[in-house]
Amino acid sequence: MTLQIIDNATCTFCGCVCDDIQLHHDEVRIHKANKACVLGTAWFLNHTAEQKYPAALVDGREASLDEAIEVAATLLHEADMPLVYGMSNTTCEAQKECVAMADLLGGLLDSHTSL
Amino acid sequence: MGGKVTCTLGEVKQRADFIIYWGGNPAECHPRHFTKYTIMQKSKFLPRGRKDRTMVLVDIRETKSVKAADIFLQVRPGRDFELITILRAMIKDQHVADEQLAETGLARDVLEDLVARMKSAKFGCMFFGMGLSMTRGKHMNSAALLTLAAEMNAFTKFVAMPMRGHGNVTGADVIMRWQTGYPFGITFNRGYPRYNPGEFSTVDVLVRGDCDAAFIIGADPGATMPQPAIDHLKRIPTIVLDPHVTHTSRLARVHITTAPQGIAAPGTAYRMDELPLPLKPALKSPYPTDEEVVRRINAAIADKPFWLPEGSQPQMLTAQV
Repeated sequence: MTLQIIDNATCTFCGCVCDDIQLHHDEVRIHKANKACVLGTAWFLNHTAEQKYPAALVDGREASLDEAIEVAATLLHEADMPLVYGMSNTTCEAQKECVAMADLLGGLLDSHTSL
Repeated sequence: MGGKVTCTLGEVKQRADFIIYWGGNPAECHPRHFTKYTIMQKSKFLPRGRKDRTMVLVDIRETKSVKAADIFLQVRPGRDFELITILRAMIKDQHVADEQLAETGLARDVLEDLVARMKSAKFGCMFFGMGLSMTRGKHMNSAALLTLAAEMNAFTKFVAMPMRGHGNVTGADVIMRWQTGYPFGITFNRGYPRYNPGEFSTVDVLVRGDCDAAFIIGADPGATMPQPAIDHLKRIPTIVLDPHVTHTSRLARVHITTAPQGIAAPGTAYRMDELPLPLKPALKSPYPTDEEVVRRINAAIADKPFWLPEGSQPQMLTAQV
């Protein structure tokens, strides 16, 4: 099977965000990440499209995505002072939704920066 | 840019003939920083590349980055703020006492040489890492270094830039600044954003036990935070979104698996110089993206009654004529 190639792909492992990586991939995994450093290569090659984990876990048991979303919303809504934290390994689009969540909940909002 | 005296990495690559790395180890943590942006590149203004550039490393111990440096200054641990303050005095030819110098562990002639080199540079850039911003003094150290960069502009062009780790942590700062006016450590508990690191920053909130639920996305505090903070996360309902089942997922009430950003999820990420770059995902994940899941949780929360009683919600002021 021939591999597909993506030129100038973006690596998001560290703050350098190198945008000149050449990825050789098939449907399931990335086989080669040209120009990437040691850390970037590990980042690209260790993530696959396999279904390794359950869609969601609620109290340690496997659950559907819909159920997990409903439980999460209920727990956050019930809290008086919920905290929204992290946002490092995610896209700006998701980060914007997180700000909206903290606003909606009247909660705390913080990122890795404050550590 | 949040008031920083800074520039893009493209400008550093083209023009910076004097580079200081302070409290960071780019050789191991940002392996392509030297070759792609800073000391190794040849440019129109620095045609001989490495030979035209001077690189200084300031750290508390010898790391692998020392090999790449022209000058290595070993500062005593926890004395970064003192050293920056002394440099700020020395560039203005103010008197610095011997005992103040002794505190930093560096000799006067070494610092005089550094100051002379800084002033004679055409374009200086200081990169600071967590060795500066996460040790004694914390954000006051960063503020002092940024002030030093600003003050150096009385003599020559000088900028400073944080060395950010963790992929899109710069994006988090930028997005929060855009949406709330503040970069981190924010609360909405009065209905509008307020900012106070130390009071609203996560470690402090968790150690004091102030929050009664936590939503963790794109982070693994269960592996990185101090034990009292982790203990509090165990006590309260925690919700985790991550491509892997992490340490935090194991102590959480809810874990949702999502597609990894940039590999299977599209979007935007910010580089450490606050330049947004589009992601080019190679794979199709069986899991939803973070954006989709957070949006669906928000929709489910919005269906429930608002947390403030009717009539007490903050209102936008409209102009009265």
